[in-house]
Amino acid sequence: MSGISNYVAPRSLDEAAELLRAGNVTLLAGGTDLMPQSRNGRTQLRPTLMSIRRVAELRGISEAAGNVRIGALTTISELRDSVLVRERLQALWQACDRFASDQIRNAATIGGNICNASPAGDTLVPLLVLDAQVELASKSNGTLATRAVPIADFLLGPGQTARAATEILSGIVLALPPRHFISSFFKFGTRPALDISLISVGLAARRAGNALHDVRVAFGAVAPRPIRAPAAEAALEGKALDDGVIAVAAAAAEAEIHPISDVRASDWYRREMVRNMFTRVLAHVRDR
Amino acid sequence: MGAAVDIARGETLIGKRVPKMDAPEKASGRTRYIHDINLPGQLHAKILRAGVVHARIVSIDTSAAKALPGVHAVITAADVPWQRPIGVAKDHLPLKTDRVRSPRDEIAAVAADSAEIAEAALRLIKVTYDPLPVVTSAEDALRPGAPLLHGEELTWTAPDGRREVLHAPSPDNVAMTFNYAQGDVARGEAESDTVVEDVFWLHYVTHCCMGVSGVIAEFDADDNLRLYSNTQVPFLHKREFAELLGIDPGRIRVIQPPIGGGFGSKLDIYPFEPIAIFLAKITQRPVKLIFTREEEFLASPTRQPVLLKLRSGCKRDGTLTFRTVDTLHDNGAYTSWGATTPFVMMQTISSLYRVPHCQYRTRAVYTNNPYAGSFRGYGNLQATFAVEAHMDKLAEAVGMDPVTFRLRNAQEPGEITPQGMHFKSCGFKQCLETAALRSDFRRKHNEYRAKWHDSNPLKRGVGMASMLHVGGGAKIYPSDGCGTILKIDDFAHLTLITGASEIGQGSETVLAQLVCEELGLPLSAVTVVNNDTDITPWDVGVHASRTTFVAGNSAIGAARKAKAKILAAAAAKLELPVERLGLRAGCVVETGSGNRFIEIGKLIRSLHFSDKAELVMTTHYYEPPSQHQDREFKGDVSAAYAWATQVAEVEVDTMTGIVRLLRITGAHDVGRVLNRLGIEGQIEGGIVMGQGYATTENLIVENGVVRNPSFRDYKLVTAPEIPAIDISFIETMDGEGPQGAKGVGEAPAICVAAAVANAIYNATGVRLYALPFTPENVYRALKGQAQPPVWRVAS
Amino acid sequence: MSATVDIRFRLNGVDTEVTVPAGMSTLEMLRERLDLTGTKYACGEGECGACTISVDGVTVNSCLMFAADCDGRELLTIEGLVASPVGEVLRASFARNGAVQCGFCTPGIMMQAQHVLRKHKGCERADLQRAIEGNLCRCTGYVKIIDSIAEACVTADTEQGA
Repeated sequence: MSGISNYVAPRSLDEAAELLRAGNVTLLAGGTDLMPQSRNGRTQLRPTLMSIRRVAELRGISEAAGNVRIGALTTISELRDSVLVRERLQALWQACDRFASDQIRNAATIGGNICNASPAGDTLVPLLVLDAQVELASKSNGTLATRAVPIADFLLGPGQTARAATEILSGIVLALPPRHFISSFFKFGTRPALDISLISVGLAARRAGNALHDVRVAFGAVAPRPIRAPAAEAALEGKALDDGVIAVAAAAAEAEIHPISDVRASDWYRREMVRNMFTRVLAHVRDR
Repeated sequence: MGAAVDIARGETLIGKRVPKMDAPEKASGRTRYIHDINLPGQLHAKILRAGVVHARIVSIDTSAAKALPGVHAVITAADVPWQRPIGVAKDHLPLKTDRVRSPRDEIAAVAADSAEIAEAALRLIKVTYDPLPVVTSAEDALRPGAPLLHGEELTWTAPDGRREVLHAPSPDNVAMTFNYAQGDVARGEAESDTVVEDVFWLHYVTHCCMGVSGVIAEFDADDNLRLYSNTQVPFLHKREFAELLGIDPGRIRVIQPPIGGGFGSKLDIYPFEPIAIFLAKITQRPVKLIFTREEEFLASPTRQPVLLKLRSGCKRDGTLTFRTVDTLHDNGAYTSWGATTPFVMMQTISSLYRVPHCQYRTRAVYTNNPYAGSFRGYGNLQATFAVEAHMDKLAEAVGMDPVTFRLRNAQEPGEITPQGMHFKSCGFKQCLETAALRSDFRRKHNEYRAKWHDSNPLKRGVGMASMLHVGGGAKIYPSDGCGTILKIDDFAHLTLITGASEIGQGSETVLAQLVCEELGLPLSAVTVVNNDTDITPWDVGVHASRTTFVAGNSAIGAARKAKAKILAAAAAKLELPVERLGLRAGCVVETGSGNRFIEIGKLIRSLHFSDKAELVMTTHYYEPPSQHQDREFKGDVSAAYAWATQVAEVEVDTMTGIVRLLRITGAHDVGRVLNRLGIEGQIEGGIVMGQGYATTENLIVENGVVRNPSFRDYKLVTAPEIPAIDISFIETMDGEGPQGAKGVGEAPAICVAAAVANAIYNATGVRLYALPFTPENVYRALKGQAQPPVWRVAS
Repeated sequence: MSATVDIRFRLNGVDTEVTVPAGMSTLEMLRERLDLTGTKYACGEGECGACTISVDGVTVNSCLMFAADCDGRELLTIEGLVASPVGEVLRASFARNGAVQCGFCTPGIMMQAQHVLRKHKGCERADLQRAIEGNLCRCTGYVKIIDSIAEACVTADTEQGA
């Protein structure tokens, strides 16, 4: 079943970081990815299994100095139930609403979803367009220290992140979006949830009249990791949304993605859907 | 209870919403399925599967596995030289000897103290293979020079050295053929004003019973086998297991714990069952074998995939003239019931509508793919899909609306079709008219069609399809009967012992209802025993929508005998003519007035303790008045036939290819509604299963390998996706049916895909010839990028 | 060999102590160690909901939860639910409305239904459909399950009001 020789459940971030420093630790949060991946051999459990569930510092959604901090252990259900998330971080809320099932949303954590680094990870695309930073804590020199890494730099590839083995993802920080800021997430699927994204589209921007500024576009499941789409962003930046601008942006997006063919869809279909759904998302913004 | 029946007032139970008798236990989590049963001293078994698609087995080394602590037995074919082949064509050895034909193939098996140890032991077994060329489709299998899957004869050597040929070689990979003809199709074609021809592809899907497959086998000290099994056909399997083990069937007892879904998947023996028996015999311990979900996807049967070519014609006035059908059934590596689905398919081809000239031909062909079994609807989903597409195409070609065109050709009561089916009750035309009316079909069909070229990317469409299916059993085996034993004790508690298995469909409750209706007793007075071949009388099994009809008539027969005995005793005791007596509300009553004379329990006690000293125990065996088909596949195989029409309304997103099923309006000729709650549940469940077949489910098989063996990528319909469902019951009161009822178990799943295909056409003007209607498939078709199915095989 | 962990938790209102291998799932612990077989295995990867239990007041797939992680928590399984008033309301509603056919998915859906009733996020049919989107049923087509939960919502409301 597993080669776990030690199970630990620290109660503070300091203790957790200390245990991580000792090495050979698998971090366990909600377990919804770790359990099946350890069963099917995709993840080799290390000798120490460390549940971080009791670490209080990793919980809660707070707002201070124009920033929102989301503790890594915040479950997807807690995000979905948060008024702040629903009203101010719409794209993230939409991703949480379309996330797996109620049972999984109740267990899965945002920190876990980020560290799992799936190309189709539901919260990653909204975090990209919301310019989130992840907070990494460690005790590499004996004292607890944190560093912040932009999410775009944190995600390296399927299951690959910039987290060092001694680090723990403690939270996500993002600037509270200004007024007239819109964000939107679209997940392609035939059912509301319990679906792995064939493709997903994220859009965020400050809206002035019919024009978008500070445009951020991201796509999921079309590359080894969720990606920002700078050419599409540039095509939209400062422009009033009309059919022509939308078509140019959609064409730009198509050039930025590298989808694969797998059991869920062909690369051709993924390309078509990125173009069509990005177009639809932009049209909805225009018509709103 | 909301619509509860007040039995004390003698109300009828028929047609009421009667809750399933086993529901409270199941909803409490108390019901013990096979997975929940553990016998003292039990070992756990696991099977090593080949993982390679087609290969010779060069060597198997089990020594390391045998040496693992906690392992009690490791077996390969060499350990059971007496094993015999299983399956419909007896072409399948449970443990493979020298050849692997499918990745699911069983190479070795382990019995150990725990499932984990058994798993660990499997990893220690070393097998070397010599790969063989892979046959990935039925078409490839028929090419000259194609590798042969079963090119050699399969022989069996008895312990005494006697050698038997059990399966003759198949020199051309053809496992089975079916040919049926009526009339003269050439003449039919000559008389046609319009002819259409298309090729259809019906894909792989699988049952996905929520309870995974499992079995527990144990032998007693006298070497009698006790098998805890999920089978749907306990009595047939008892005989097969006996043959397999070379023992007297009387020494086999099959106990059927409640089952986590059947849908036809448990009509055949699969290798895991004999393997568990072998291990139990070798270890002399109870052996439990339970699949993982992945194993369930890889190693349980599929619905029969079919490539089908259909040519049909009609006259200018809409009268059908002929149909020619050629099908290729991908048999997979071995033969199970899927190969025999033509029995049902040809009925739809020949007899759903009046068609004077028909020709039907099937070849079931061996490949290295998963092998197909029986699945709710049994070939009828596939046949109906093609036939109903052509009904729409022909209607359009002659300028008639789909309803009128179908009504023109629909069967009517009294019809005896050229295939010999006699439709004594037939509500087909009412089904068509009711479904069309309730769905506002004609108006919507015209309106939606007019919007094909609108700018709105969301299109709506309606489509209809109808079906004919056996509804009074199906005489496939020498007997299609069912036995009942009834005993009523001194307190008027009734034990109904029936051969018919409960698989979740509610037979237990409906049989109890029928018996209580005869005897004027409340449902609470009934215990149903239906799960132990040492106790229950023979029944042919749960299949072919037959249980309510056949087991129902059997139960009624036993109840009527008990009633006669009770009334005779009452007449003697009360000194009244028996004609004046009836049973109601637990009492002997005066017919007409309803005046109560005596409680049934009291009467039975007085009979028991009288000089006559009798108990009320009756038996009845019911054999439906149907016929076996002759060698030309003609004959009235069912005592009654069920009809239905369903209208699907869909929304097609032309930017994604997503097809949303908005509404199904169904009209079903069910003979008579016995349990309204139960029959609604059957129909709703069947419709959603049909929705899955049409739009979400797809077992992806590439080069013999199942690519999506999990619920993550094999998508069952979830609760938010279901359509609105409107069901009308057409009650034709079948003369032979129990209280007028006909079978309905399979009917609701049959039309959905066909209706959805017609609805997509009505929405978009694009016709899809291949299932499933997943977003990418639909989108490709809308963009003109789809490769329609092609018929490349010489006839 | 895998390390074992001693854990203590409340299970259906009863303090429970058990020693489990560190890699064991909660589903395996319930079924194989504690003989609570009402919680079902049907996929083992969180895709079907047959193993739904409640942990600290929210439902989870017990197949995705390490048993060791139960330490210090409050678990409710179908066996505990049906011994409670809300469980009784649900069981009666499921039976009366025909929500049960083969019954294999039923305990998991009962657990999810109690969560819906507890959280009381609305009893509109669309909400209920979403609430059980993680529970697969192969028999019923869900219609009667939704009917049952909707009726139980109303019953629970009435009883709370009374």
